[in-house]
Amino acid sequence: MNLLDRLRRPAPHKPSQKSLDLFDDEFQRKLEMLAIVSRRVFTGRMRAERRSKKKGSGVEFADHRDYVPGDDFRYVDWNVYQRFGRLLVRLYEEEEDLSIYFLIDASASMAFGDGRKFDQARRLCAALAYVGLANLDRVTIAAVSDQVVSRMPTTRGKGRIFKAFQFLSELKPGGHTNLGEALNTFVAQHKRRGLAVLISDLYDPQGFEHGINELRFNKFEPYVLNVFDPRDAQPQLKGDLRLYDCESGEEREVTVTDALLRKMEQALLEYRQGIEHFCTSRQVPYFSAQVDTPFEEVVLDLFRRGGFLR
Amino acid sequence: MQLFGLPWSTLLPLFGGMAVATAILYVLKLRRRSVPVPFAQIWDKVLRDRESSQLFSQLKRWLSFLLQLVLLAALILALGDPRRGEQASSGKNVVVLLDASLSMQATDVAPTRLEAAKAAAKRFVRGLGSDDRAVVVQMDMLPSALSTLTGEPSELESAIDRVRAVDTAADLGRALAFAEDTLQGLPNPEVVLLSDGALTLPNSAPRFPVRRIPVGVSDVNVAITEFTARRYPLDKSRVEVFLEVTNTNDTPAEVELTLLGDGNVIDRSRLQLAASERLPRFFTDISGANRRLEARIQLRGKRDALPADDRGYALMPERRRARVLVVSKGNTYLEAALLLDEYLDVTYIEPASYTPTAGRFDVVIFDNVAFALPSDASSALYLNPPAEGAPVKLGKAIEGFGFDRWNKKHPVLRFLALGDVQVARGHAFSPEKTDEVIGESDAGPILVSGSRAGHSFLTLGFDPRDSDFVLRPAWPLFILGAIDTFVAEETGYLSSYRTGTAFRIPAPSGAETAELTTPRGNTVTVPIKEGRASYFGDQAGYYRLRVSGADPSEHEFAANLADAEESRIKPRAELDIAGKKTSIAVAGTPGVRRRLWAYLLLAVVVVSCVEWWTYHRRVTV
Repeated sequence: MNLLDRLRRPAPHKPSQKSLDLFDDEFQRKLEMLAIVSRRVFTGRMRAERRSKKKGSGVEFADHRDYVPGDDFRYVDWNVYQRFGRLLVRLYEEEEDLSIYFLIDASASMAFGDGRKFDQARRLCAALAYVGLANLDRVTIAAVSDQVVSRMPTTRGKGRIFKAFQFLSELKPGGHTNLGEALNTFVAQHKRRGLAVLISDLYDPQGFEHGINELRFNKFEPYVLNVFDPRDAQPQLKGDLRLYDCESGEEREVTVTDALLRKMEQALLEYRQGIEHFCTSRQVPYFSAQVDTPFEEVVLDLFRRGGFLR
Repeated sequence: MQLFGLPWSTLLPLFGGMAVATAILYVLKLRRRSVPVPFAQIWDKVLRDRESSQLFSQLKRWLSFLLQLVLLAALILALGDPRRGEQASSGKNVVVLLDASLSMQATDVAPTRLEAAKAAAKRFVRGLGSDDRAVVVQMDMLPSALSTLTGEPSELESAIDRVRAVDTAADLGRALAFAEDTLQGLPNPEVVLLSDGALTLPNSAPRFPVRRIPVGVSDVNVAITEFTARRYPLDKSRVEVFLEVTNTNDTPAEVELTLLGDGNVIDRSRLQLAASERLPRFFTDISGANRRLEARIQLRGKRDALPADDRGYALMPERRRARVLVVSKGNTYLEAALLLDEYLDVTYIEPASYTPTAGRFDVVIFDNVAFALPSDASSALYLNPPAEGAPVKLGKAIEGFGFDRWNKKHPVLRFLALGDVQVARGHAFSPEKTDEVIGESDAGPILVSGSRAGHSFLTLGFDPRDSDFVLRPAWPLFILGAIDTFVAEETGYLSSYRTGTAFRIPAPSGAETAELTTPRGNTVTVPIKEGRASYFGDQAGYYRLRVSGADPSEHEFAANLADAEESRIKPRAELDIAGKKTSIAVAGTPGVRRRLWAYLLLAVVVVSCVEWWTYHRRVTV
């Protein structure tokens, strides 16, 4: 491809810089009623509202163990001693916080067209982050493409939601998609395991499986939110064209016909079905979030019915 | 195969150039537009399925290119107008004579006969065969071809539309001669005549078949067939009019005649005309018309089918007082003659008090003297000039002579009886070559006209008082005629010209061209030769001739058809030309042209439509 052809290519879409005033107060109150469901129990760092593996000073009775010198006499179960003549200490469940990682795809394909995918991804991320922060979970947001582009430091408490908003609004999509590489770096940087919510279109030339497997194999609990724009499947193209990948610049010479567009739509459908099949067969929760679907509906209805939120 | 359009030597390079251009455009068309997609790998699977048909796609592309070359070849070949060899000489060659004479302005066929004839002519040319060729000729007094000899109906129809009505008769003899010249040597010649039959027929039979498409149904018409007017020489405020009204019908007619002077009605009368009668009428002592005189007739009780010949136009010479200077010691006869015209402004002076700067005069009369002309004077009449100062060299003295020969057509001597004038003594002249001798005795010239230094003169070789010339009626007429000639007010002034003839209008001899405005308002440039502007007039009405330059002038004149034969508008059921009958032509049925180029173009259109459809349906791409 010569320079002239490159110059003739349309400029990539720049996402809007308007602030992410994503939801109103009422929607925010609804979000406060929700919580992200974790099917596994992770070790927390601070006392919070999540059940942990630790036995400690919570209110829920967990077990007994033999008294050893030095134990606090207040926890000796005197009823058991009276009946069985054994000194046993009552154990209670410890409640800790949960680490939730939001991995938002910031590659160029997310900004394709008018950037609706990236905007939708940012809204979803913001809403879920608010849910996590409201439940005193430890929320981390990282933008990934073929690397970890940027990262919002771990934070907790819903008062920090504006920090998350600012981080998301300042994100600029670009670069190639290589989720395997990027998430490999991510897991190396984050030793504390937890939920990893991957928000992406999963247009990964190296294969979307690598990224998800990186999370699985490193004992994160991955959730996949596949952001999808129907116009990717039904492009308004006709005639003799030279198609080029918006990330890699790879070219394909195509004569686009109605039949070809139908095949293209079918191929994209199969690709998404392949992602879903991969996730469900590995017990990775998978959600498809179309950009045309109202954002509130995705959060309040789709995610709840899918067991992602409760 | 034979080409009747562009030759092979032109077509082949044209095809080569256009083919190269097509190839360039085709390559440019193949340049693809770059479009981004979010995930190119998705397209790979789709394209893998199509790779099996890639070869077929390439083949289709080549077929598309070849198809365009075939289209181009068909177009180029169509420019050559190819025909089979035997078609070239099998068609007819037709001269379509369309009568545009005055009778074709009759309204018995709506809207006019001419329009009906034009419609019939269009039907005829549309029905011509593919190998027939025709030329459209407007037929009036002079035939004029309005198209080339062509087989293209649109060109012929366009030529038919250009036929316009004129106010003249139609000369069929000239038109047939033109047709014979046109069709000379061509196969299957034929003449088609669209006319009402009111024609000037030739004496010789046509050499080619003449077929006719008749036009017209009615014969009801009355016409002004003569209309002339003149001023009385001695009372120029009054006019004498001669007018002839013709009833061309087989039944009596009542006509209302109106005379208008300068647009105002000055006389109105009713005339009763018998069947086919030509009724001449004189109107004497008509006053109230200064310049323009117009006659109108209206048929009472019936509808006149031809209103165009119901008007006559005449124009009187402009009246103005001529300024005359008489240089004489006294001449009673001369003074008496000059008293007869009240429109003369005469000044008398003695020869002793004459100076060349005496003033501006139209005519100077030198009686028995001869001096240099005043600079502003235009002409001079010399009566018995002395040798010194005479415009013409005096010859020998002669006695007892008279006018033995004189030019009876000269404006001065027209209508004068000079044969019995007796002269006692005088001189013969020795004129120059450019001078005109208009009267002479056996002894030599005695009356000479000519021009010296731009001044015209007339010189008489004897003293009138030495003859009985002064006692005759010819004497005052001679004097007044000479003055009228000098001031360009001829006694033979034409009050109107006849259409269908060449007008020769007096004009300043110094100019070469003049602007002529016709009655319909068109302005044309006409040549001036020997002091006359020439124009073939075909419209009745008032004309205006404008000469610009060193000696500008403006002159009006009138023209009338005045042709009783042309006003006989009864359509002829049969037309025999010098004993040879003409048959009725039947227009053919418009059909599909059998020219190959038309089919080539049709094929180009069809294939282009198919290519367009398949391209947009993505069949051939």
